[in-house]
Amino acid sequence: MRMTPAVIFAGSVLILAAVVTIVVVLPFYHTNQTKPSEIFRSRTAAEKAGRRIYINNGCVYCHSQSIRTLDWGIGAERIAQAGDYVADRPILLGSQRTGPDLSQEGGEHPDDWHMAHFVNPRYTSPLSIMPAFEFLGKKKLENLTAYVQSLGFRAADKRVKRQEKWKQRAIAAYEQGPVKNVQWIHDHLPAPWRKLPNPYPTSDAGLARGHKVYQDFCMGCHGPIGDGMGPAQPYLYPPPLNFTILKDRGVSGGILYYQIMNGITGTAMPYFKKHLESEKIWEVGNYVAEYFINQSDADTDDGGIDAAYEP
Amino acid sequence: MTETETIKLSDYATAKGFCLTSAFWMMVATFMGLLGATELIAPDMTENIGGLIFGRVRPLHVNMVLFGFVTPGLLAATFYFFPRVLRTALYSEKLGVFTVLLWNIMLISAVATLLSGHSQGREYAELIWPVDLLVVAAFALVVFNFAMTVTRRTEPLIYVSIWYACAAAVLTMLTYCLGNVIWRPDGGALTGIPDAILLWFYGHNIFGLLLTPLSIGVAYYVVPKAVKAPLYSHTLSLLGFWALIVVYTHIGTHHLLQVPVPTWLKVVAITDSIAMVIPVMAFLINIWYTAKGRLGAIHADIGAKFVFTGTIMYFFVSIQGSMMALPQVQRVTHFNNWVVGHAHIGVLGFSGMIALGGLYYVLPRITGRPLFSRFLADFQYWMILIGVVGFTVVLTTVGLIQGNAWLNGETVYRVLPEIHLYYVIRAGLGLLIFSSALFGFYNIVRTIFTPAGEAK
Ligand code: HEC
Ligand code: HEC
Ligand code: HEM
Repeated sequence: MRMTPAVIFAGSVLILAAVVTIVVVLPFYHTNQTKPSEIFRSRTAAEKAGRRIYINNGCVYCHSQSIRTLDWGIGAERIAQAGDYVADRPILLGSQRTGPDLSQEGGEHPDDWHMAHFVNPRYTSPLSIMPAFEFLGKKKLENLTAYVQSLGFRAADKRVKRQEKWKQRAIAAYEQGPVKNVQWIHDHLPAPWRKLPNPYPTSDAGLARGHKVYQDFCMGCHGPIGDGMGPAQPYLYPPPLNFTILKDRGVSGGILYYQIMNGITGTAMPYFKKHLESEKIWEVGNYVAEYFINQSDADTDDGGIDAAYEP
Repeated sequence: MTETETIKLSDYATAKGFCLTSAFWMMVATFMGLLGATELIAPDMTENIGGLIFGRVRPLHVNMVLFGFVTPGLLAATFYFFPRVLRTALYSEKLGVFTVLLWNIMLISAVATLLSGHSQGREYAELIWPVDLLVVAAFALVVFNFAMTVTRRTEPLIYVSIWYACAAAVLTMLTYCLGNVIWRPDGGALTGIPDAILLWFYGHNIFGLLLTPLSIGVAYYVVPKAVKAPLYSHTLSLLGFWALIVVYTHIGTHHLLQVPVPTWLKVVAITDSIAMVIPVMAFLINIWYTAKGRLGAIHADIGAKFVFTGTIMYFFVSIQGSMMALPQVQRVTHFNNWVVGHAHIGVLGFSGMIALGGLYYVLPRITGRPLFSRFLADFQYWMILIGVVGFTVVLTTVGLIQGNAWLNGETVYRVLPEIHLYYVIRAGLGLLIFSSALFGFYNIVRTIFTPAGEAK
């Protein structure tokens, strides 16, 4: 074959045109009529402004918006559908998960959690490597929060409503003073959990492990000495619980376990069931009980058969 | 190969300009990489310096590597061999120098816009519309200069390097417009899933229709020259060239295998990703057989040494890439640092190495003097080789840790402490590569600007 300028230029351009037809134009007509999915809704002005901020600050390089069948973690309840993206221009699927997927982030946390987190992610999540965004200023952070809270569209709206409902009640309880507040928090636990003591024995090793979990997950809010004065405290309302007030207020190993597992929706207290397995939850709970509340019901005989490892 | 050494063609001002451009922006690009790597281990180091947050530093790093360091480096060598293998003067050195100037204006505006938070938010297509226009204009000038030079050639046969250079320039000009949705200045994107498909068609062609053909063109020039042997096979050249253009353009959707895009498109992408073995091996067999038994000559020339190493990296990155396009593999490797490792073998190990090799090969021939320091160039070679291999080991390890932990149900947050140490090592390797860019810049500037009498 003799390669002349015409063959090189025209040949390669023609091939490109043919390939573009197959892998760009055909798929375009195959996918551009996609119907909005059942959760889709359009975005408000604030959410759109927040999305712009998301784009300009490169959140997309660390966060995907694309849940796969094999995923665990935040948002994994719902696998992404083409119809979720019908208004996304550009689409923000992302290619790296330096941080978690955000497709269904809306309503995972209340707004005050996001504000503390954006000001400095280490405040709420001590191990985080996400940049601090305080420099954006209050207005932009509010828009950004609005956008993040809209991720998941209608499904997110439902969760955000739930956050708002319980936020009001949590604030009301908090403003009635510590005694009433603790009472209110505990009243919303299922009764069996309230009565359940920690069946496992305390050990130095277990406390050391609990301490590590506490440092990695809890310290930014509840503070190094458990008084609720971690660096996130100024941004959160109701503020993180001061564990030292729990003494003699009927707290049990079961209450601690349930709260850590499930979180307290409406307050900044997140659920940890995706991060921590059972043993870690018992151990951090017992660490809090031993060190901060100074009262632990560990190793109470609950009538069950002792676990095989117990001494 | 046909080339007359006797014609005194020009002063190679364009090639020189691209040499300096590449050497300078390599420092900027690798510094941005180092900064980003450091932020991943010390996120509050740049707290409240908005312009330097990771989300802005990363796209700047990537764009500077692609358009600041590698492409100009490859163009430097290309503008050198173009007139030589065609046995004519470059159509216009003035236009060439103007292109260099425009190129640098484009790069400066890219830095300014990205750091001040102006981005289109699409990978490899971040640059906003006015900067896009500068990119397209620069490529158009290159295409024009190439095309005019080809038509004025006195050598009847067109050598394979020229095919690749012409195709790279013209196809990139076109796919850049398409991929950046240049007809929509407000945002430069389509909507929804079609946008993802278009973006990755384009994104993959930045490697497939820009970096790869330019690199292959340079390798096809430097290796036979260095070993003083004719090219092994014309048929393989033809096969490799046409297969590259047909196959590489089909595979962009392998970036979207876990996304709701049409299944038939995924099948096309996966099949052609495997078929990439054809263009890759056609080129590699051709080059390796040309150099067979003559590796001493490769060792003797620092430029050829860089280029030859680049071809070996091309082998690894492509075989790895074909594997990564398998859905079973991607269950583990997608979304994590495995892909970042792959990207560095490709862009730094393959294209970057060949760009540097091209520079070091043509510099003495442009200036008519030996390199300012052969030792420094050799030192840089080893720094980069250790850097790339180190990156591969570290990032692949991190990727496997992340991917398997996630499959096992551990959250992203939980895995952060497990990868911290590797991030530290990665930043260390980044420092190595950044330092090598400083040495390279010094060496290249001294080579170009040393007055004739002072050369060693
Ligand atoms: C360097 C990568 C990086 C960048 C850039 C980044 N993040 Fe993050 N992000 C993370 C990591 C890591 C986490 C997990 C730890 C944490 O909660 O901070 C995270 C967590 C989050 C969470 C909390 C998810 C949850 O419910 O636990 C939100 C919301 C979030 N990021 C939003 C953003 C937004 C909005 C931006 C851009 C303004 C952004 N991130 C930029 C890395 C990043
Ligand atoms: C983002 C801030 C934040 C983080 C992180 C956090 N908490 Fe909380 N925590 C709170 C808030 C806020 C409350 C409820 C305050 C209120 O309603 O008065 C709370 C309440 C609790 C309670 C309820 C106590 C009771 O008597 O019912 C427990 C237990 C608790 N946190 C433990 C933990 C542990 C253990 C961790 C780490 C694994 C942790 N928290 C991490 C903010 C946080
Ligand atoms: C046969 C050749 C190749 C194949 C089949 C291939 C395949 C792939 C695949 C499947 C991915 C996506 C991984 C994922 O997201 O899970 C990828 C990413 C990437 N490849 Fe390749 N690759 C090849 C060669 C190259 C070469 C030669 C280069 C560089 C010049 C390169 C540079 C990159 C880069 C930079 C990315 C990262 C894209 C991103 O930002 O996510 N690849 N490749």
